[in-house]
Amino acid sequence: MSPDLSTRIPQRIRRFSTYRIIEHWLLITLFFTLVLTGLPQKLHQFSLCQSIVLVLGGIDTVRSVHHFAGVLFFMLAVQHIAVNFIGIVFRQWEPSLLITLKDMKDSMHNARYYLGLLPNPALCGRFSYKEKCVYWLVLIGGIQMIMTGFMLWFPVLVTKYLPGQFIPAAKIVHSSEAMITFLLVVTWHLYEVILSPDVFPINKSIFTGFMDQQQVARLHPLQSAERREIEADDLTEMPGDRRS
Amino acid sequence: MRSPRCAALLLLTLWLTIAAAPAAAVDESAAAAERKHCLNCHAKKIGEKKFSDGDSVSTYVDPKAFERSIHGSLPCSACHEEFSERRHPDRVFRTKQQFQVRESRRCLACHPDEKINARPIHQSLLKKEQAGQPRICTNCHSAHSTQRARKGGVTLSEEQFCMRCHSHAGRMQFAAGGSVSVQVDPALLSASAHRNLSCSDCHFSFSASEHPRRKFRSSREYRLSASEVCRRCHHDKQAKVAESIHYSLASTGRLDAPTCVDCHGGHGVAAPGTDRLAIVKKCASCHAQVFAAYAKSVHGSALSNTSNRDVPTCIDCHSSHTIRATRSAAFHDAIPDTCSGCHGNREIMAKYGLSTAVVKTYLSDFHGMTLQLYRKEVQSRQRPAAPIAVCSDCHGIHNIARAAGEHAATIKSNLLKRCQSCHPKASENFPDAWLSHYEPSLARMPIIFALKWFYRIMLVVMVAGLVFQIVLDIRRRLEKR
Repeated sequence: MSPDLSTRIPQRIRRFSTYRIIEHWLLITLFFTLVLTGLPQKLHQFSLCQSIVLVLGGIDTVRSVHHFAGVLFFMLAVQHIAVNFIGIVFRQWEPSLLITLKDMKDSMHNARYYLGLLPNPALCGRFSYKEKCVYWLVLIGGIQMIMTGFMLWFPVLVTKYLPGQFIPAAKIVHSSEAMITFLLVVTWHLYEVILSPDVFPINKSIFTGFMDQQQVARLHPLQSAERREIEADDLTEMPGDRRS
Repeated sequence: MRSPRCAALLLLTLWLTIAAAPAAAVDESAAAAERKHCLNCHAKKIGEKKFSDGDSVSTYVDPKAFERSIHGSLPCSACHEEFSERRHPDRVFRTKQQFQVRESRRCLACHPDEKINARPIHQSLLKKEQAGQPRICTNCHSAHSTQRARKGGVTLSEEQFCMRCHSHAGRMQFAAGGSVSVQVDPALLSASAHRNLSCSDCHFSFSASEHPRRKFRSSREYRLSASEVCRRCHHDKQAKVAESIHYSLASTGRLDAPTCVDCHGGHGVAAPGTDRLAIVKKCASCHAQVFAAYAKSVHGSALSNTSNRDVPTCIDCHSSHTIRATRSAAFHDAIPDTCSGCHGNREIMAKYGLSTAVVKTYLSDFHGMTLQLYRKEVQSRQRPAAPIAVCSDCHGIHNIARAAGEHAATIKSNLLKRCQSCHPKASENFPDAWLSHYEPSLARMPIIFALKWFYRIMLVVMVAGLVFQIVLDIRRRLEKR
């Protein structure tokens, strides 16, 4: 970066560490791989889905890719939970994505705002209640899909220890949860980070790791009140929204 | 005195000669006059002789044909003895046959039994007469246009011509030994689907004037050759047969592979679909083991015990001509189509209290869904990994039993074995992973039913909520501007 360019760049705030950026890239890749190989299996009665399966090399190949991506997703989820558990419990990381009472209040506040009863939306800290909601739905849905996915992959092994009906139940949970997560991401998440007038054309912070100070002030007003830049290679999270 | 006696004798002879000649001439002219008299009316196509049963026969006589016939010089009354120029009695007959029998009796006056029985063709007719069949000479010889039999002018139909010999026992010898009967049972022929064809329609190098001597090594070779004539008319079936396992076996030199006549018979070929049990028995003549299993199955026992018309016979699943190799992947993968032809038909299944959901539940399940995609792959020339379970892999092939009722327990206990044939390590719980063709309901599998509806409702509520929220979000922002 040339010095004269850096002077032009307004003051930026570190929002995501490189680790989080890589984690999100992996999540995007695996998510769309799983959707591409999974949804056509669920909606196999539609000829478009059948064509997708054929183009991808047949149902056997599609299943293998889905299983492989599932295993990688499982590993991603395990390391995510382990790293955050260790970080929060032993390294005093701020559990900034934990849903708090304020998020409940914010959501009620926004409901009234949307109905025209309040003039302004709720002010949020580092993560809004919407972002937390997407995070937890994807995480919980992901865990469910990992578990049910393994059950569907190894029905013979599973029925050695569990009643047979767990398999059709797992199938319903797996495919429905997948549908819910998929729709959640393509409607809400993509609206919030791409189409929403606040961030349009795109909120790049998860790819660059930084967010303009002005944007932080606009999107995360409570965070910008007390900010601190973190080192790029630091795994520690930024402190959560401290209400002052 | 000697010369006057001689002269008198001579005179007598002369007188007799002179007197006799005009007498013959008078007879001739009398016969001609009678014929002319009768033909005044009978040469016109105007009259009909009516019988009591409503049948009728034309009174027309072709004068030219009669003149050419062997009886052309006889007066009409020579045969029709009750009739003359003055007498024309009104006779009443019940049937045309009665009339023909009555008129044929007149032939005996000149052609008595002992004379006509010198010919074998008449011997067999005589036997039939003794057995109760009426003798009607005009059937073969016709009435007014009778020709000399030795000239070959007897007006026979082709069938009658051929049957002069082929109604008698005779055998065709083969070079490699063995023989086959060339006798044709007329009753079989007249009951067959081909009853309106003549012999040379099938035996096309044969006619009244031609009878080629053909040589075959064996009776099998003869049959194969005989089957070749069918495609002259049934080329559509021949094209189908060309795709069949039977044809491909034959083309590899298996002479015992069935051809047309092996299944349909020769002279007794029946209209299809008349006797369903006969179809099964025909196949059983080669596929005895399969028949034994089928006969015990829910389909086979219904066919043989109650002549049920809904259960499939061999050809309903295997088709009648395009009989494919059953070990081929194409045949295996098409089995759900075959079964759903009946088991997806509400009308048929309602009669037996069976559910048509079996097809839907199969196709939406793992196996059915994979099969559908496999078939797409085969169409686009990809190769699926391994065959997937179809109806027959769990229900059996020819020995299909009723899934409910007395067999239910046996089927349940056999199910695990069926599963294990593809999933060798499957445990006792494993078959329950499959919903037995039931669609989840509150009564059956309530947990799965509840889960399904929970997710359905949640999905709709969530998507509607999210979209609603996005719309409101946009609206508020627009208001603010």
